[in-house]
Amino acid sequence: MSHVSTTADLLFEIGTEELPAAYLPSLIDQLGREAAALLQANHLPSRRIQAFGTPRRLVLLVQGLADTQRKPAEEVRGPSKQAAYGGDGKPTQALLGFLKSQGGSFHQTKIVASDRGEYVFLVKPPVATPTVRVLPTLLPQLIGRLRAPKTMRWDGTGLRFARPIRWLLALYGAAPIRCTIGRLTSAPATRIGGPLRPKTVAAPSIDAYHSALTRAGVILDHQARRAAIQEMVNRTATSLGGRPAPEMLSYGLLDEVTSLVEQPVELVGSFDPAYLSLPREVLLASMAKHQRVFAIESSGRLLPKCLAILDGKPGKPGEVRKIVERILNARLADSLLFGKEDHARLPLERMAAGLSGITFHERLGSMAEKTLRMRAVAEPLAEAWNLAEDERQALRRACQLAKADLVSTMVKEFPTLQGVVGKYYALDSGESQAVALAIEEHYLPAGDRLPATRLGSALAILDKYETLTSYFGLGIMPTGDQDPFGLRRAAQGIVEIAWAVHRPVPFDLLFRARSGLEPFRTAPPKDVAGAAQRVKQYLLERLDTFAWPNPVPTQDCIEAVLASPCHDLIDVMDRIQSLQRLTGNPRLLQAAKVIERTRNILKGAPLRQQEVDPARLREPLEQQLWDRYCQSHEQVAQLAGQKSYEEATALFGERFFEPLHAFFDKVLVNVPDESLQQNRLALMRMIHALYTDRIADLSKLTILQQPHEEPSR
Amino acid sequence: MPIMQLQQLIRTLDTFWEHRGCIIVQPYDMEMGAGTFHPATFFGALGPAHSRAAYVQPSRRPTDGRYGDNPLRMQRYYQYQVLLKPTPDDVQQLYLDSLRACGLKLEDHDLRFVQDDWESPTLGAWGLGWEVWLDSLEVTQFTYFQQVGGLDLEHISCEITYGLERIATYVQGTSDVYQLAYGPKTSYGDLHLANEREGSDYNFNHADVALHQQLFASYEQDAKRLLEAKLLMPAYEQLLRCSHTFNLLDARGAISQSDRPRFVLRIRGLAKRCAELYLERTTQTRDMRPETRDQST
Repeated sequence: MSHVSTTADLLFEIGTEELPAAYLPSLIDQLGREAAALLQANHLPSRRIQAFGTPRRLVLLVQGLADTQRKPAEEVRGPSKQAAYGGDGKPTQALLGFLKSQGGSFHQTKIVASDRGEYVFLVKPPVATPTVRVLPTLLPQLIGRLRAPKTMRWDGTGLRFARPIRWLLALYGAAPIRCTIGRLTSAPATRIGGPLRPKTVAAPSIDAYHSALTRAGVILDHQARRAAIQEMVNRTATSLGGRPAPEMLSYGLLDEVTSLVEQPVELVGSFDPAYLSLPREVLLASMAKHQRVFAIESSGRLLPKCLAILDGKPGKPGEVRKIVERILNARLADSLLFGKEDHARLPLERMAAGLSGITFHERLGSMAEKTLRMRAVAEPLAEAWNLAEDERQALRRACQLAKADLVSTMVKEFPTLQGVVGKYYALDSGESQAVALAIEEHYLPAGDRLPATRLGSALAILDKYETLTSYFGLGIMPTGDQDPFGLRRAAQGIVEIAWAVHRPVPFDLLFRARSGLEPFRTAPPKDVAGAAQRVKQYLLERLDTFAWPNPVPTQDCIEAVLASPCHDLIDVMDRIQSLQRLTGNPRLLQAAKVIERTRNILKGAPLRQQEVDPARLREPLEQQLWDRYCQSHEQVAQLAGQKSYEEATALFGERFFEPLHAFFDKVLVNVPDESLQQNRLALMRMIHALYTDRIADLSKLTILQQPHEEPSR
Repeated sequence: MPIMQLQQLIRTLDTFWEHRGCIIVQPYDMEMGAGTFHPATFFGALGPAHSRAAYVQPSRRPTDGRYGDNPLRMQRYYQYQVLLKPTPDDVQQLYLDSLRACGLKLEDHDLRFVQDDWESPTLGAWGLGWEVWLDSLEVTQFTYFQQVGGLDLEHISCEITYGLERIATYVQGTSDVYQLAYGPKTSYGDLHLANEREGSDYNFNHADVALHQQLFASYEQDAKRLLEAKLLMPAYEQLLRCSHTFNLLDARGAISQSDRPRFVLRIRGLAKRCAELYLERTTQTRDMRPETRDQST
């Protein structure tokens, strides 16, 4: 049977106090997705679902929403037959209770046999409910599904949201929907005018709603608002003979401003050109981060102009402009003053002397001591990276000066510019470009930006390694989501940089240089060794969450490599990638079989003999396997030594799979003759260790558990 | 029209909030970084009793000192603080009305509520709300408290913290705080400029680092001892001293970014114990709240 279905549009507005700019895009997105899921789960088809939002409202528009909810027939399982009927054949309380809770009646039940016994089922007929009666319960559920990074309570109802919800508007076609959350009940009205000219206007229909917003200058659609602001910014910049400074995009200023206003209006201001002598980063931070105004440049140089996007047209734009300019000038004056003060304390080397007055940590001494420890580890790192003598000199210098800008007033004012300020002050102090860049880059990675120079990469690793070893040495490690000292980020940073520059990070060599210094200098050797192990372990654990390039290694592949000796982070990473690249290669499965079978046999019996005694080889297949080892082991070891792990693995699989298979078919290892048994076990161990001591314990690979053809011989 | 002097501005706010059920309490007589540290807010936000209070609190921010050269930053300035518990639904409009009462024609300006996840790590207090921007300058901090002393709150309070000097520059149409009329013949500079210079010099150059490190440890020790003895306000006052000492050490550049969490945790530990002791008291003597007694005597 078919029925003619009619539809209407649904409008649902959640009116709030100002939502955080950073949350808004996600809230809009969630509103659309969750509405779609909720309507579908509730048998309410529609033609189109859209979500919009401004700082003060989240709006759902569903077009062509069916006017009737049609729930299909449904069978609900109740109590077992035994529990449902008493000895007298009359329904028990259990059955009556079930029917009551489901709103069913006795004649709608049936008994169904299943493998778990006989059960009473309630057969519910299809139900048709007008949509207008379903929405009052659905819409509050929809609000409950919206998530934000931080939510709050604001009244005694226990309701939580990103910011207080102050009004609700729900219309289905021309019918207002009455729904309630907390102490709020929806009404066919919306609010416009922002906080300054608040006005409640009737919205008896969706058309009336839209025209009220349009008249008030509210651009409801987030993307349209973003485009309008971008157009405003570009047009204004062009009219001033320039373009918006490109960093404004990476700072996310356009997105932020889009989420800060609902009626964008532009306002151009100027600042004193004298401030253009400030470092570009300082100017941009003052403008974008502190005041949320756009900077404008022409041929790469900033103009003494700023562009603010206001929310609604103020009564006296000229007054507002004067104040915005005054505040920007005051901020820049402050920065200029910091710069002057700081320059009186240059060169940077002199500033670095002030680091002894800044505590790094009570038990780890000052920041000056931290830089000394970085410098100590710089030596083995430079060695491992094979740096030329002039680069080593520069690295030592960069260690000494890396933290010097922390003493500056500029960094106290703009903590996010640490390193950047150091770079400028290094150049002003006559340091080399390489040292200056390294100082800037050593706080990276930030976002997807990594150090671009080799010296910067080295310095960044040294800084993070020092932090990690220091805190681990004090027994401070991240737990769960508690990581107040940013140790997880530091470890991740080391992994990312090592991979990007593809240079060694030799665990033991670095730690040896570190262990003579605090907090290890006077610690018991056992504790020092424990800390070394924990640092290494922690760095290796980061490989699980590292953003690997393709082919992204599977968990078992990482585990296999970590089960073998790990001396150098980059080598471990290379081994992992090599194994992953062999996925699907029959040689990998062969090699894994060899490792698995040798491992199983070695697990079963104590080994007292390390080397094979060729004189005691008795069976031809045994002799053949030994010969194969003698012919192949140097080549496998050599390939592994050259880090040609793919070739080494393929060769290992190719050389050993067949003879080992033949050996196991015919020769028994655990024979009563112990001398014979031990000699055979030693052979197993040598083959096993030839690979696992160098590359990975392939017995961890899950391909071994998957059904597969026997690898071809 | 005569301009509204700063002392009149304070009086206007007092009257405005008095008419909305606030008791007007006096500044706390100790150094503190913000009005939040005043017991009327820290303890007022805790517990089941409804509470409305407003007051001026001179606030010390040693690192913000600029030797009187910056028209917006000072190492000692006035906060006007309002605590409303529980929060009324129209609190944003109440706040805007209070600005209008001070003579501001808000419609001439650009006003924004910009997200601010406010947190006082030392007090174990946090809340969500905004910085209120008037023509791109932050003039007020507006917060719905969620936790104080590390404890979830029974009622949600709204804390409104006005930057009095900044608001006065709008009201009086001046750009320099030191030019503000405090009284009919007295400027803000007359009252505070000399001290601002000296204070900055002291905070940045003369405060004895070793002494203050020692003081911090002593105050902390003493706070713990007083908490053991269940002497609430004496213990809390030692916490206030710890907090200010920490701020001074910070201004002297004696605390690194990485060392900061350790200091903060130590103060927060004290704040939590003070909050717990306070709640223990109020549940014992629900009808003998200190606020009520203060009012009647």
